[in-house]
Amino acid sequence: MTWVIVAIVVVVVLGAVGVIVRRRAQGADGVEMFQRQIDALSPEARRPVVDQVQQLDPDADDPDDRDDPRGS
Amino acid sequence: MARDLAIDLGTANTLVYMKGRGIVLNEPSVIALNRQTGEVLATGREAWQMIGRTPGYIVAVRPLRGGAITDFEITERMIRLLLQRVGVSRFTRPKVVICVPSAITEVERRAVTDAARRAGAADANLIEQPMAAAIGADLPIDEPVGNMVIDIGGGTSETAVISLGGIVALEAVRVGSFDIDAAIQNYVRREHGIAIGERTAEEIKVAIGSADPTVDENQAEVRGRDLMTGLPKTVVLSPEEIRFAIEDVVSSIIASVIRCLAKAPPELSQDFLVRGMYLVGGGGLLRGLAQRIERETSVPVRMSNVPLEAVVLGAGHVIEHYEALKGMFMGVRR
Ligand SMILES: Nc1ncnc2c1ncn2[C@@H]1O[C@H](COP(=O)(O)OP(=O)(O)OP(=O)(O)O)[C@@H](O)[C@H]1O
Ligand SMILES: [Mg+2]
Repeated sequence: MTWVIVAIVVVVVLGAVGVIVRRRAQGADGVEMFQRQIDALSPEARRPVVDQVQQLDPDADDPDDRDDPRGS
Repeated sequence: MARDLAIDLGTANTLVYMKGRGIVLNEPSVIALNRQTGEVLATGREAWQMIGRTPGYIVAVRPLRGGAITDFEITERMIRLLLQRVGVSRFTRPKVVICVPSAITEVERRAVTDAARRAGAADANLIEQPMAAAIGADLPIDEPVGNMVIDIGGGTSETAVISLGGIVALEAVRVGSFDIDAAIQNYVRREHGIAIGERTAEEIKVAIGSADPTVDENQAEVRGRDLMTGLPKTVVLSPEEIRFAIEDVVSSIIASVIRCLAKAPPELSQDFLVRGMYLVGGGGLLRGLAQRIERETSVPVRMSNVPLEAVVLGAGHVIEHYEALKGMFMGVRR
């Protein structure tokens, strides 16, 4: 009888630990993925695309003439 | 090895960005077909030149006109031809990111991604045009500040508020610069009794169209077919009458911008006053439009320096950073 109770307790505890571990991992995943996304949207990451914009822009050689969306 | 692609499948213009290369294709979203056999006769600029000038058996159409996919079969063929032209085959299976009007339905979205997969894409995902435009226009969307983008294209006008890499508020209407062309066509027919084609109407818009009075306004001479006599006829149009003709379309576009401003959370609204709103899309080039939006909203409006390419460049950035940015695809965000 006691070993049945012990087994049930062990299964329940293992299950709970499993769920907690998975939740933690997912949480860390979410944080990490969000951070990666934000980093990939940073001005430094976008520099190559912005440089292409400047190549396309007919009056890019006149720096005063350009709108700067990032403000100053 | 296939190079991944980003496609701006616009109602007026299609642009393709190839990973590591940049923009490799930029042409009108037009396809010309043989009405009887259904055979494709031309696409892009060549098909565009045929609009309104074809014999009865040829039809030159814009399958995405109106910001909705009116003909799935033709759209699929257009996507297939587009991918073939940039070198996609059964053996080179690139990943593809496609920008579509945010107003398209679930069924239309599926049609576009399925078409791309059938045409050889290993994986096809969609991204909203204003989001891509904000990335391409270099707005600081990685920061927790309100970035407002207005994209006025041929068939759609979309305004979005973006903060921390996500869309906070969005307002999309199926009204765009094509509707301005149509309004000019109707006006000239009604008031001057002559019929003009859609390409002529577009030329008038670009030459003398405006949303607000501007300095150096000129008149334009227009040739069309007299509705009474059937003979060719020339009339002179003034900028004021064109302004009057397109007023309804212009004000409905501005109304959608105002609705988007009203949807934005108050914390972000303050940012617009300082940072302004960003205008992209060919329709945004209409003379006096930025000035008019500014006047009616009291928010400064800045014009992108690459209004026609911002969307595809933004999508191109996503394809360059595919793994990090795949959470931004339509339908992936929670
Ligand atoms: N200088 C100009 N003045 C007014 N309108 C212009 C000008 N240049 C281009 N347009 C208009 O802009 C439209 C095309 O813009 P754009 O290429 O941004 O559309 P699109 O991206 O294909 O459309 P959508 O975003 O609705 O799918 C056309 O209707 C064209 O007539
Ligand atoms: Mg567009």
